[in-house]
Amino acid sequence: MNPPSAASKNLATCNVCGKVSPVTDGECPRCGTHLHLRKPQSLSRTWAFLIAAVILYIPANTMPIMTVNGLGGSEKNTIISGVITFWEMKSYPIAIVIFTASVLIPLLKVVALVWLCMAAKGRSHTSPHSLSRLYHVTEILGRWSMVDVFVVAILVCLVQMGALMSITPGPAALSFSAVVILTMFSAMSFDPRLIWDKHREQIQTSDSPDKIPSNLA
Amino acid sequence: MSEPDTSSPSEPRAVVKRSRRWSTVWIVPAVALALGIWLVWEHYRELGPLAYIRFETAESVVSGKTEVRCRSVLVGLVEKVDLSTDLQSVIVAVRMQPESKSLLREGSRFWVVKPRVTASDISGLNTIISGSYIDLDPGDGREDVHHFDGLEVPPVTKSSVPGLRLVLEAETAGSLAIGSPIYYKGFEVGRVEQRTFDIRKRRTLFDIFIRKEYAELVHEGTAFWNSSGIDISTGADGLRVRTPSFQAMLSGGASFGVPPGSQVGKEVGDGTVFQLYPNEEATRHISFNPERKFLLFFDQTVRGLNTDAPVEFRGIPLGRVVDISFDYAPVGEKRVPVLIEIDPALLRNSAQKATNETVDFKDAVAKGLRAKLGTASLLTGALFVDIDFVPDAPPAEIIKSGDYEVFPTHSSGLVQLEAKVNAILTKIEALPLEDTLSKFGNTADEITAIVTEARATVQKIDQLLAREETQNLTAEMDATLKEVRRSVTSLGPSGSLQGDLNRTLDELRAALRSFKTLTNTIDDKPNSLIFGRESTGDPVPKARR
Repeated sequence: MNPPSAASKNLATCNVCGKVSPVTDGECPRCGTHLHLRKPQSLSRTWAFLIAAVILYIPANTMPIMTVNGLGGSEKNTIISGVITFWEMKSYPIAIVIFTASVLIPLLKVVALVWLCMAAKGRSHTSPHSLSRLYHVTEILGRWSMVDVFVVAILVCLVQMGALMSITPGPAALSFSAVVILTMFSAMSFDPRLIWDKHREQIQTSDSPDKIPSNLA
Repeated sequence: MSEPDTSSPSEPRAVVKRSRRWSTVWIVPAVALALGIWLVWEHYRELGPLAYIRFETAESVVSGKTEVRCRSVLVGLVEKVDLSTDLQSVIVAVRMQPESKSLLREGSRFWVVKPRVTASDISGLNTIISGSYIDLDPGDGREDVHHFDGLEVPPVTKSSVPGLRLVLEAETAGSLAIGSPIYYKGFEVGRVEQRTFDIRKRRTLFDIFIRKEYAELVHEGTAFWNSSGIDISTGADGLRVRTPSFQAMLSGGASFGVPPGSQVGKEVGDGTVFQLYPNEEATRHISFNPERKFLLFFDQTVRGLNTDAPVEFRGIPLGRVVDISFDYAPVGEKRVPVLIEIDPALLRNSAQKATNETVDFKDAVAKGLRAKLGTASLLTGALFVDIDFVPDAPPAEIIKSGDYEVFPTHSSGLVQLEAKVNAILTKIEALPLEDTLSKFGNTADEITAIVTEARATVQKIDQLLAREETQNLTAEMDATLKEVRRSVTSLGPSGSLQGDLNRTLDELRAALRSFKTLTNTIDDKPNSLIFGRESTGDPVPKARR
């Protein structure tokens, strides 16, 4: 009922040029890249980047992302305090944009990746189709989180008016960009095909319950 | 580990390496963890200790914005402003910078710097633009204190400024306020830092600060007095009006100096307590040590003698009048009792100088030392007690009456003056005034007769003027004047005299011309007077000799 996967035929796609060739060749006959049936160490890499991102997500949100030095003294702003300030200023759209791009998306990305990793381990019963869509959305959304970092970078460059007003980046800016980059890495290292492998496996085990699943062997 | 093993054994296969248990990719979260921990640790390391300062209001203090500065250096930031639990004050939580931790000591003082305009100065104007800040003046007590009471008014001088800190004790607060200047001979040398009221003593205490360079001006014998406001006093010397500097008039001020006659004494240290006298006059009384009190009985009126009136020995102040009251008199005493206090040391010194001998009171009284009333000012009628040696005074001695010793008095000045005035009045009475007055009356009668005659003469003159001849006199005078004018006209340019005069003048001119010719001839030829003029016709010019 299911068409055989390329992996079951020992066919691997080249990660660089996309040519499909037998994995036994070892290298891609066209570009010479190492051939893998699946991304090597995909899950562990994903987990590693993900955990790193989660760790840095804490300082990114608790520490000041930028310091505004003005005539009335200096003011340190965290991401959340900025959102609150905009919200109190009744600039709801800006507050929502910042909140979405800076807080929500990284968080959703992390949650999505954790979910995907779980699914790849067979801990989820969501349909692989939805999981694939989730993965694509995660990958596409990833770069948009950088909006915040860009805003800080531009402000720091533009607002340097000496004693009148100046803006300097805070430690959260570094952590935040690290979070964004790490979640992107994490998404990149994840191999969505694992979901399908797992799915196939589950179908097989349900078809022949006496057969022991390979990953438990 | 996650890769499915899909190679089939029948085909030649690559050597499958057992994947390492720990992939190198795990370095990334390790590094992230380290970075995160470092960031957080750094963040908390940068957080200095919290200090809680209690203020009455949080006016112009903004959490997260108001800075804490020490000598204009940023040392902390207000983190939170809360009401105290009893709602009577606000607690300002200040996050100090870690390196400024040592500034939180016992005795550190905090106050809000904001624009202030007072009579004595204007400060903090820069905070109009930059916003208020909390100033910190570090104390020198033990460290690690976190709760402070903020000052509502900035301290006049910081504890770090070297100088002398003294306490003044005053009966009334007067117009002396925080920041009021302290003068020495009119020169500002310090400030009032604080004023408190001691409920137990019921006196006002002023903490004052004297700048270091002037600290040596303050000695044990120094007296402080309030020099604020305008001082108008009527005393034994008449009316006195004294005004200090304009600033002292506005904001009050105190002066100090060593009153005349006082011992200068040693220099003093911090915390010495001095009395603050209400005026400079009062300090004059402090030089004496009122050890002895005497009761005086005067058998004359003491009207004009006030409490605090001076007691003098030949003009040298010795003491003052303490009280005038019949409370001190034994029953049946008719004379007025006056209680005085004097400094025996002063009397002895001055008496020694005057009499050149050592005296004690008994001896001096035996020699004629008496107390009497003197007139200090004829204008105000104020009296003072004059202690002096009275020649051929009736013998007396110091006796004890009740609690006090009674000093013998002498009916003095005023009584004698009264007697003299009486004598003069008696003489005036004895004068033959009535005779004189009757003679004076006769003279007046004669004068009246003369005046009557004079009036008759004047009437006659009036009649003379009224007669017709007198009236016609003016018409005749008119005619005479006309004739005079006519004769004057004949003298004018058109008059006959003028023509005669002109002719005479012409002739005189011709005569003068011929005279000139004559003199020329004589000049040319002096002998022509004798030999006559040569009639050679045309004159021939001659060469110069």
